[in-house]
Amino acid sequence: MFFRILKNDLKRKKIMNTVLLLFVIMSAMFASSSVNNMFSVYGGIDYFCDKAGMSDYVVVALRTGGECPAEKAIDEAPSVKENRREDILFIASKNIKKNGKKYVDFENPGVITSIDDAKLTYFNRNDEEITEVPKGHIYVGGLLADESKTHIGDTVTLEMEGVEQEFVLDGYIKDVLFGSPYMGNPRILMNGSDVEKYLEKEEIRLSYSGSINYIFTDDLKSLKKDLSDIQGALFANERSVFKLTYMLDMITAGLLMIVSICLILISFAMLSFTIKFTLSEDFREIGVMKAVGVKTSAIRGLYLIKYLFISCVGAVIGYFLSIPFGAFLLKSVSERMVLGNDDNTLIGIVSAIAVVVIIVSFCYGCTRSIKKLSPIDAVRNGETGERYQQKSALKLSKSKLPGNLFLALNDVLSKPKQYISMLVTFTVCLLLITMLANTANTLVSERLLFLMGTTYSDVFYASTEKIMDAMGSTDEDVLNKTISDIEDDLKENGMPGKVHVELMYTIPAEFKNEKTQIVMQQCKRTKTTDYVYSEGTAPLYENEVAFTQQILDDLGASIGDKITLEIGGEKKDYLITATFSSFNQLGRVGRLHQDVPLNDTDASSAHAFQIDFDDDPSEEVINERILKLKDVFDTDKIYNKAEYVDISTNSATAVNYAKNLVLIIAVIIAALVSVLMERSFISKETGEIALMKAIGFKSRSVSLQHTLRFVVLMVIATAVSGILTVPFTRLVCDRIFAIMGALSGIEYNVKPLEVFVIYPVILSAAVVVSTFVTSLYAGTVRPEDMGNIE
Amino acid sequence: MKTVIDVKDLCKTYVVNKKQNNVLRNVNFSIDEGEMVAVMGPSGSGKSTLLYTVSGMDRMTAGSVSFCGKELSALSDNEMADVRLDDMGFIFQQMYMMKNLSILDNIILPAVKSKKAKESRAFTEKRGRALMKKLGIEDTAENDINEVSGGQLQRACICRSMINSPKVIFADEPTGALNRTASDEVMCEMVKLNREGTTVMLVTHDAKVAAKCSRVLYIVDGNIQGEYKLGSYEKAEDLRDRERNLNNWLMEMGW
Repeated sequence: MFFRILKNDLKRKKIMNTVLLLFVIMSAMFASSSVNNMFSVYGGIDYFCDKAGMSDYVVVALRTGGECPAEKAIDEAPSVKENRREDILFIASKNIKKNGKKYVDFENPGVITSIDDAKLTYFNRNDEEITEVPKGHIYVGGLLADESKTHIGDTVTLEMEGVEQEFVLDGYIKDVLFGSPYMGNPRILMNGSDVEKYLEKEEIRLSYSGSINYIFTDDLKSLKKDLSDIQGALFANERSVFKLTYMLDMITAGLLMIVSICLILISFAMLSFTIKFTLSEDFREIGVMKAVGVKTSAIRGLYLIKYLFISCVGAVIGYFLSIPFGAFLLKSVSERMVLGNDDNTLIGIVSAIAVVVIIVSFCYGCTRSIKKLSPIDAVRNGETGERYQQKSALKLSKSKLPGNLFLALNDVLSKPKQYISMLVTFTVCLLLITMLANTANTLVSERLLFLMGTTYSDVFYASTEKIMDAMGSTDEDVLNKTISDIEDDLKENGMPGKVHVELMYTIPAEFKNEKTQIVMQQCKRTKTTDYVYSEGTAPLYENEVAFTQQILDDLGASIGDKITLEIGGEKKDYLITATFSSFNQLGRVGRLHQDVPLNDTDASSAHAFQIDFDDDPSEEVINERILKLKDVFDTDKIYNKAEYVDISTNSATAVNYAKNLVLIIAVIIAALVSVLMERSFISKETGEIALMKAIGFKSRSVSLQHTLRFVVLMVIATAVSGILTVPFTRLVCDRIFAIMGALSGIEYNVKPLEVFVIYPVILSAAVVVSTFVTSLYAGTVRPEDMGNIE
Repeated sequence: MKTVIDVKDLCKTYVVNKKQNNVLRNVNFSIDEGEMVAVMGPSGSGKSTLLYTVSGMDRMTAGSVSFCGKELSALSDNEMADVRLDDMGFIFQQMYMMKNLSILDNIILPAVKSKKAKESRAFTEKRGRALMKKLGIEDTAENDINEVSGGQLQRACICRSMINSPKVIFADEPTGALNRTASDEVMCEMVKLNREGTTVMLVTHDAKVAAKCSRVLYIVDGNIQGEYKLGSYEKAEDLRDRERNLNNWLMEMGW
């Protein structure tokens, strides 16, 4: 008997049950795939590090003039348990060519490694270990492992100081150290004899060679202390910092998790509506069942079985769909990492089961109202004798609105409870999209420029070659000459301006007897007061310094404390006067006063050359000049402020990808919710539709009125999401920016056209089309169906 | 007298579980302007189906219904909707109204939708209130539909049916859900409307109600078995005789 009732219910409410099933499928699919994704990426970072043989600490050093003080310091440090030294060569993007033209543009120098001298394990895209590279062949990783720019089988020429060799690109590598796009240095893996050919030339040995030291230790704290005053290190950091560089991959996964949570919440809101709706529709049947003596628990069981059945079917389908879907989402991550989560199946199944358990528990809670229904409900058509509380919110007689719009608006305002789940759904969908749009727009706007540790210059000229020439030289004045040359070129081309460049130095530091190394930033041609600070005042004197909050937290210092820095072999106390936010070094950086006597050749890295035109030109003129400068300097790497932020953060693409994905998901959700709700409304309001038709409403008028209700909801959702978009973006994305190093001061770039027009219109279009198409079903309601009015 | 409804060989057949059920079989009758015609018959005889088919709410299977010269079967759904909106008024046994609207708003809703009279919303409201006053329910204008009695609600339904000054009012058991007092009040109003020139066709199984009409059609198994002309009456005292005569006739017809 029970199963007959169940079968009839599934048959009778076919459309509603189908849409409900679709929601369960989507919930299970998203929950399984995203939880799995999180586990895979989180677990994957450690698994990848271990499998690749990543050490506790890494020092990348440059052997300027054939000497490397950093290597000497490592060899002498007592806390070093084991040091695996990998000899490397640095190569600029201009030296890699295909058919005589630059192969791929990249900012930081590339790193050439001999497979015979490799101290890490490298993997191909199929996660297989690469043990040999034939002569005349190369594998590439990092920024070069990009199928849109390079192709397997390409023949490229690598030239350094006149030594030129031709290589065939054999494949892409997964490189734990430089694999993340955040690292910026692409790796080129080649045969040892090919590397030797370059090293035969003395100029190359003196100016382009270096080493990566993979240091193992049992006492990381002591190691950091021991290496606190090493000189000539381009980069020195612990394993956890390298793991952080994969956080960008985690961001996509994290955003997907937020979407999944929202989707599950939406599913439950829909489920709640559907269960309550089903019960209000079935009061007669429930009343009759009670009248003939069926117990409340048995009736609840009937509904629980129905939802358990739908949940189980949905969860099974959702789980199987989550496998290809999860793989699709992980694709962008797994191209760079060897993922080692062996429990994918188990996690997926547990997530799908969790969805079933949550849905059934939720259903159990919702069916409590069955207790309240009595046999008399069957007799009284569900009326309890209580006064009907509903009041019309608007007056047709006083309103100037057209009839259909009035009825739609009045309906929404008179029965807000009925529409709340839809309103929440549409608002959440819009918030998710606009949050990601705000983040993506911020990542390509000049609002983040201060986080690059630069001033608001007109133009940014990124020239790895010029920087490398200056830093690789022993002549202290090379950088000044380079800057003067650029200024002369500007003058010659009728756009005089001043040029400066930010330099980064790795400086030994000591605070409260704790020794460490801190990357400090300095520009001699600007003033410290030209930069943005979060707290305190800019360093005004030579003995004043500013740090990011992360550095102060690491040191246990605060504004007003004095820190000892060793500059040019001389130890001196510096007063901490301010904190600032920065993306540089993942937020671990300091700023020195412009008068601190640092040698340019000691700099470990540099930013782009910044140009400030003398005539303070408009944006339009700047963009015209950029085009001209590209010709003058024969490079594409000349940017305006926003472009420079974009290429520096290198994450707008990932966020845009997530935004587009969420947009598609939101459109599907909104369309499905609209179909489900509109179909429910038609079913519930058959009597009213029949009455409207009886008094002369046309079918299209009914459809229009029903569609307008959803339009009203979309308008409200747009307004609510417009108000909440910035707080919501802050809530979610401040954490993401904090991971990248910026703890405060981010002003999001909210584009009103996108937030209030484009995305609401896209979502509204999905809602309106699906509602209107569903509302055509109201055409099957005949005037004589008025008997269905409750 | 001008004929407003002319029904010829009207048939209505339902097919349920592959079984054909002929509810109306070659029904023929006509109603002149200003008439008040009652349709009576036993349960399941096809009274309501006849009313709904003649009023175009339900589609006929065969035959023809001419309404003010328009052949209903030739009208599209949209044209039919326009006819229902502007030229027909409906009163049902249950007082169906839009739950979200006040009594006054329910009454003026058809006028707001109609393009017949291009008038301001304020004027429509005035007309609605005037109708309510006429039927003695002006105090309930701002009330919700649950806040008034059944009799008041049915009178509000009459107001709604009248708002677009229809040519014919169709009423399906208009007093079926009312007590005797309310029923008398509602019928009194309908007679008044008829005397002012509105044609009325109603379905009832209450001889007391039918006695107030000018003509009674008796239907059995989908066929008009006979008709009884009562004519008009002047005084309320005449109603008792009309009711007695009608009952006698109904008994002859097998009521």
